[in-house]
Amino acid sequence: MTLRLTAVALALALAAPAITVAEVGGEAQFLETCAACHQPSGQGIKGAFPALAGDAFVVGDPQAVTATVLNGRGGMPAWKVDLNDSQIAAAITYIRSAWGNKASPVTEAMVAAERAKSAPTTARGAQAH
Amino acid sequence: MALSRRTFIEHLAVVGGMTLAVAGMEALGFGFASAQTLPPNLTGKGKGTRVVILGAGLAGMTAAYELTKAGYDCQVIEARSFAGGRCQTARKGFTHTDLIGRTQVCDFDEGLYINHGPWRIPYNHRSTLHYTKLFGVALEPFINDNDASYVYYEKGSGPLAGKRVRKGQLANDMRGHAAELMAKAAAKGGLDLPLSKDDRDRFISYLISQGRLSPGTLDYGPNEGRGWDVQHGAGVTPGAGKLSQPYSLSDILGSKAWEAVEPLGEHEQQITMLQAVGGMDHVAKGFEKQVGHLIRYDTEVQKIVQDDRGVEVLFTDKDGKAGSIKADYCVCTIPLSVLKGLDLAVSAPFKDAMADAAYAPVNKIGLQMKRRFWEEDHAIYGGHIYTDIPGVGSMSLPSTGWQGQKGVILGYYAFGSDAVRISMKSPADRAAFAVAAGQKVFPEYAENFETAFSFSWHLAKYNLGGWAEWSEDARARSYAKLCEPDGRIYLAGEHLSYLSGWQAGAIESAWQQIARIHARVNAA
Repeated sequence: MTLRLTAVALALALAAPAITVAEVGGEAQFLETCAACHQPSGQGIKGAFPALAGDAFVVGDPQAVTATVLNGRGGMPAWKVDLNDSQIAAAITYIRSAWGNKASPVTEAMVAAERAKSAPTTARGAQAH
Repeated sequence: MALSRRTFIEHLAVVGGMTLAVAGMEALGFGFASAQTLPPNLTGKGKGTRVVILGAGLAGMTAAYELTKAGYDCQVIEARSFAGGRCQTARKGFTHTDLIGRTQVCDFDEGLYINHGPWRIPYNHRSTLHYTKLFGVALEPFINDNDASYVYYEKGSGPLAGKRVRKGQLANDMRGHAAELMAKAAAKGGLDLPLSKDDRDRFISYLISQGRLSPGTLDYGPNEGRGWDVQHGAGVTPGAGKLSQPYSLSDILGSKAWEAVEPLGEHEQQITMLQAVGGMDHVAKGFEKQVGHLIRYDTEVQKIVQDDRGVEVLFTDKDGKAGSIKADYCVCTIPLSVLKGLDLAVSAPFKDAMADAAYAPVNKIGLQMKRRFWEEDHAIYGGHIYTDIPGVGSMSLPSTGWQGQKGVILGYYAFGSDAVRISMKSPADRAAFAVAAGQKVFPEYAENFETAFSFSWHLAKYNLGGWAEWSEDARARSYAKLCEPDGRIYLAGEHLSYLSGWQAGAIESAWQQIARIHARVNAA
C-alpha cells in the first residue's frame, strides 16, 4: 500500500510533463488498441461497438472514462494489464479531442489515481484455454 | 522451531521459485479442487413446463438436453446457421465474415482443420468429458507440453536472446542451476532451513534428483536429461555420443526464455489433455444430434420481456420476419458483451452487474503447411512454440495427423492488445504477419505455407470477445448477482463460472441454472 501511494504521489508531481507525453502519441495509441472496434473514424460499429465521436460519455466525466478504459465494461476489454498510464492517458485525451469532440485532456496522474482504486492485476500467461 | 508445511513451501518458493514450491506442494499432498462431475438429477415434476433457451452453444444445448430429458418443453433460439456457439472448427468451406465486413472461406485440404475456438479438454473437466463419453465423441491426446518444442525469446539480452532453444534443455538447465545453488547452500547449512539433519539430507537428495546434480560435488553439468550434441547410438561411432553443454544460468536469465518454462502447468493445463478427433466441433455436433430438433437456427433475439407469469422472446428469422416464443422460464446464454445491446427486461441493478464484465480480445490463425517440417526436420510432434514476438502469444503444432503429408499450424494465439493490433489487418496481412513470425523459429516456414484461416473473437458478431474477463473487483461486486435469476430469466454460460473460456464453464453453469429452475418448479 505504501508503495502504491508513493507511486501516485510521484505521478502527481510529474503531472505537467505527462500531458505533453500524452498528446504526442494519442492518435497512434488509439489506432493501435482501440480502432479495431471503435473504428479509425470513431464511429464504432452499430449494434456491436459504440461510437466515440459525439458521445456524451466520452466527453463527460474523465474519471468514468478512465475507469472504463482501465477495467473494461459492457464487454469492452480491460486495458490496465496491457497498457501503462501514459498510453491510456494518450488514448483518452485523443478520443476526447478528435472528430469534433471537445473535452479536457486526461493526464497520466489521473490514470494512476484511477488505477490505484481497483485491485492490482497480474499479467496474463502465455496461454489461457 | 517446528516446521509447518506452509512455511517449508514458502521457503521453497523464496529460494527456488514456484518450480520447486509447486513440486513441493504436490509432494506433500496438497490437492486442488476439481470441477462438478455430473449433471443435476432432475427428478420430480417438470413435465410440460416451457423453457426458452437463447443460444445453442454448449450451455444452451446442455440445458436443452437435460431439461428435455426431465420432461420440460424446450425451444432453443440460435442466431447462427449452426449449433455450437464458440465450439467451432474451420475446415474446407467454413465461411466467416467479421464485423468489419471481411469474409474468409476456409480452403484447407480435405481432412485438415483449425479449432479457432476451444481446442483442448483438460482431464479434470469431468463435465465436458461426461458428455463426450455419453455422446460417443471420439477423443485423442492433445500434446500440451513437448520437451522437444522450441522457445524463442528475442526481447532479452545475451547469447540466447533471439535464438531458438529446446524447451526441455532450457527446463533441465534452469532446474539444474537452481537445484545446484540450493543444494550447495543447504549442504553448508546456509539455507537456514528449520529441518532436522535427516530431512535436510533428504531435501538435498531431492535436489540432486530434481536437478540431475552430481551426487558428490552437487555440480550441475552435462547430463542425459538435457541430451546430446552427438546422439548416442550403435557401435563405437556414435557409440556413447557426446553430451551437450548446459546453457549458463546468466545466459538463460538474460534471454528471459525461462519465462516459458513451467514444471507443471496450471490445473487446467496439466497432462493429460484431450481433443476431439477431427475437430472440436464434434463436441457441438454430439449435442446437436440430441437437441438439434429443438433449435430454431438463423434466428436473432431482439427483445426479452417478462412478467410474473412468464417470459416472451421476440425474434426475427433469417428473412427478417418477426416472431415470438412464450415460455415459463428463459435460460439466456448470450454472451454479456452481446446481451447488453438487446432490449432485455431485467432490473437496473442486474443490468449494471451485466455491464461489469469485460471480454477478452482473442486471435487465432491456422496456417496450412505443405510439409510437416516440424516433425520431419525438427522431431517435434505436437506442443507449442513459446515466443515473445508481439502479437503471437504462442504457436502450436498439430496433435493429430502425425507423419502425414500436410498439417495446419496454429500460427498465433494471442489476447489483449496484441490480439487487437493484429486483428486490424486484412486476412492476407494477418497471414503474412504469422508466417514472418514463424520464419524466425523455423527456416522452412515461409516456403511451406499454403493457405490461412484467421479468426478474431472480438470482431465476431454474436460473440464480441473470446471470453468473459472478471476483475477481482467485478467478481466481488457483480458476479454473484448474475448467478441469481432476474424474475424468470436465468443467465448461463462460461461467463457465469470461474472456468472462464472453458467449455466446462458453460456446461456447469447450465447445470446450476437448470437445477435452480427445477427446484423452483417443484416448490411451486
